[in-house]
Amino acid sequence: MSAVPAFFGEYQSMVAAELRRLVPPDADAAVERSMAYTALAPSKQVRAVVVLLCAELCRGRAARAVPAAAAVELVHASSLILDDLPSMDNAPLRRGRTANHLAFGEAVAILAAFGLLNLAYATVAGSYEPPLAARLTALTADAVGPAGLIGGQALDLLATDHDISFEALERIHRGKTGALFVAAAACGALTAGASPESISALTAYAKNLGLAFQIIDDLLDVEGTSEETGKAVREDARKTTFVSFSGVAGARQLAGELCETADRALAPFGAKADRLRELSAFVASRRL
Amino acid sequence: MTEQQQDARVSELRAQLKALGYLDAGVDRFLLAPASGRRGRANVAVRSALRLGVIAGALLGPAGAIGVAFRLPGLITGARDALVLAVYFAAIFFIVFSIAAAVITFVASAAVRPEDDRFTLRGPRVARAAGWTLAILTLAYLTMWWRTANAGFGWSAPIWTASALVLAVAISLLLGHAARIATLGVLASNPTGTSLPPVSRRSWRLTLAGGAVAFVGASALLVATASTESVPAGVPPLTVVPTGIRLKVIAIDGVDPHLLNPSVWPDVAPATSVVGAVLGARYTLQPQDTIDPARAWTTISTGEAPDVHGVHAIETRRVAGLQGILPGDSTAIGRALRTATDTIRLTRPSIASRNERRSMTVWEIAEQAGLRTAVVNWWATWPAASRTGLVLTDRAILRLEHGGALDGEIAPADIYPALRSAWPSIRAGAEAKAAAAFNGVADRSLASILRRSATLDATVVGLTDALPGPVRDLDVVYLPGLDIAQHLLLSSGDEAAPSPSAMDARVAALRAYLGFLHGLLAPWLRPAPGEFVMLITQPGRVAVPAAGTLTVYGILPPPAHVEAPAIVERGTIPVADIAPSILQSLGIPLSRELAGEPRAAAVPAAQRYVSTYGPPFRDDSIRPGKPLDQETIDRLRSLGYIK
Repeated sequence: MSAVPAFFGEYQSMVAAELRRLVPPDADAAVERSMAYTALAPSKQVRAVVVLLCAELCRGRAARAVPAAAAVELVHASSLILDDLPSMDNAPLRRGRTANHLAFGEAVAILAAFGLLNLAYATVAGSYEPPLAARLTALTADAVGPAGLIGGQALDLLATDHDISFEALERIHRGKTGALFVAAAACGALTAGASPESISALTAYAKNLGLAFQIIDDLLDVEGTSEETGKAVREDARKTTFVSFSGVAGARQLAGELCETADRALAPFGAKADRLRELSAFVASRRL
Repeated sequence: MTEQQQDARVSELRAQLKALGYLDAGVDRFLLAPASGRRGRANVAVRSALRLGVIAGALLGPAGAIGVAFRLPGLITGARDALVLAVYFAAIFFIVFSIAAAVITFVASAAVRPEDDRFTLRGPRVARAAGWTLAILTLAYLTMWWRTANAGFGWSAPIWTASALVLAVAISLLLGHAARIATLGVLASNPTGTSLPPVSRRSWRLTLAGGAVAFVGASALLVATASTESVPAGVPPLTVVPTGIRLKVIAIDGVDPHLLNPSVWPDVAPATSVVGAVLGARYTLQPQDTIDPARAWTTISTGEAPDVHGVHAIETRRVAGLQGILPGDSTAIGRALRTATDTIRLTRPSIASRNERRSMTVWEIAEQAGLRTAVVNWWATWPAASRTGLVLTDRAILRLEHGGALDGEIAPADIYPALRSAWPSIRAGAEAKAAAAFNGVADRSLASILRRSATLDATVVGLTDALPGPVRDLDVVYLPGLDIAQHLLLSSGDEAAPSPSAMDARVAALRAYLGFLHGLLAPWLRPAPGEFVMLITQPGRVAVPAAGTLTVYGILPPPAHVEAPAIVERGTIPVADIAPSILQSLGIPLSRELAGEPRAAAVPAAQRYVSTYGPPFRDDSIRPGKPLDQETIDRLRSLGYIK
């Protein structure tokens, strides 16, 4: 199974509408067009869907969670722009298009990234009542900060052209991918007023799913094509990846086990968590 | 990289991932796994209940084995038996708790409906109530179990009792917790998809840790309490004050006191030519609650009630996979259970043995006190375990008939060769006596029954007389012949009632047998100075429990002088008084644990007491009992003892 689950459509459209509202595609300013270029580019919006599914699972309404989902997508888009910069991964392709810095120039791209990041915080702060907004903002900030995306990316840069330990690789993946998955699940649950126990179970789900997602990414870099993935492949040749440690078959096996673990974390929710299970099944078998 | 190397690498990475907090769902996976898929509520309830049953079986199986080890001594002979028994109990508890958990979760799920607006609030409360219900039921059961299984030491051993209760609480809470989780799983699987708050991710780890504590504690308790049982700590030494009396205890089964008239059983006053003070007494024994010979005669030989001495019935059971023996149960439920378990080959018949006896017999106490003793053909004496006394168990005759290596039938083993070489003449002499006494009986079937019984009794007497060694202080002999004859002659089975004349002939045959016995025992019935005879009779296997008799007489050693008639009627006493009377007459202090009182009129001696005699001496060697096990069963069946 490679295609996203069928139910993704309704959630994607909700998030896309919110993103279009937040980042109009027809803005005059270059930096705003640069922001929209990446934020509105075709994507699976897996993290945003996680937000909405977790909110619904905890008896919340998806509509209420849409701003949080959009914020997570904005953060993700911001990280993609920064990732592709020449000083970082220097990637030419992203989401099937020319990388942002190649389309708008490096300076505008950097500003666009910061614009998206701040827009994310502003969206969360302005969409919810203050106590919840504060918690969501803190969660998002943690996912972005030194313990999250920034920390992971910094370690990733240092690790390029170097052999690293498995623990260091996990730390990179946890920061670059896992942190935002976990934040997405927690944000969704929080918008629904979930109990700490629910958040704990969903965090376990997201943590395992996030790593599985990254392992599959590593696999796609080895096995996939640019047409399939929408980004440059074989870019990880200079890096230590999960595949370096376990081989292709081992990586796929462990990714599958992580997805199974994620499913087991959903056991207390019964059949209502089936959409999250479909999501993990998609992650385990994705080809794009 | 080879496939094997890759597998090893993946295993290593998996372990590293677990250490980093991945591959851990953080919930009660074991119990909630059934709720993870698309299953109906009933399906989830049954599956969760089965899983809870597995936990209960694993936790309570060892506890059950410990309890039974105390209640039924002789059942567990070693670690293998304990393990097998624990597995049996685990299976039983698995079934019981699976059913209980299924019922509780069904009731709980019926008590709160998903359509209810307060489902999310009430669901966890109902689950909690289900958990507490099972925990309280389990704790009540375990507390009662400890009360009956602790071998009576209770709060006299506060550390053990407190430890046991702590374990009981731990096990109860664990099972209650599991029931709560299972109920939550069932509620969460409701068709409306309404979710419940999940349980704490710490719960599974707590379950594991608590389970480990329970297991370790139960094992430690088993080891510690087993060693307490095998070491008779605190047993005071038995100091004998010599009375100068040698005692021969003759037990005759199947005696109707109304037949004991002078025409068949002349009064046994000592010979008038003997110089000395004659003393004697005759008591009527209160009826026992049983006609089972093993149970009745063990009560007599130990002076304890069956619940204390542990031999409940002649017919016991060996459980498949266990060396030990499950004591018999003569109740209707016990018989029904035996039939059921025999049918499925879980148990097979066996015969009451010394292994399940928990109390010392009079000859063992006398042996422990340093007296010279012998016991011949008493019930539940196999396998023989003696230090110095002579023991011919209830299987000794079979062993002497078959020859071969001893398997606990005779002790000490060094008397076996002499008895084996004397066996042909003993057997031939017994057959000759039986033939001489009953060949004249016209009815061939009656004659056959009488000869068979007479041969057996004469063999027992012959073996007793053939025992080597110096004069003994105590001889104890059991004669089953009259009971066997009575049973075969008078039990009608399902056939039509015998005619009065036929019945009269059979009663006459029993009278004749009593006369034969009197003649057979004549040399023993006329004691020399310093010798006493104690004649104990029981009614045997008759429909209504009847009274027995106890006759004691003898000649006190010089210079005693008693102005009294030879034998005086002394009234009715319980059978529990026999053992203390024997022990007191030998000058052995009495245990305060004995149920009866010595009858001073039997043989005069001062009363002294000790706190306990301790448990019977244990012979730890394993006695397979084959092939005589089956031979014994077949013979007892042919004699009507077991069906």
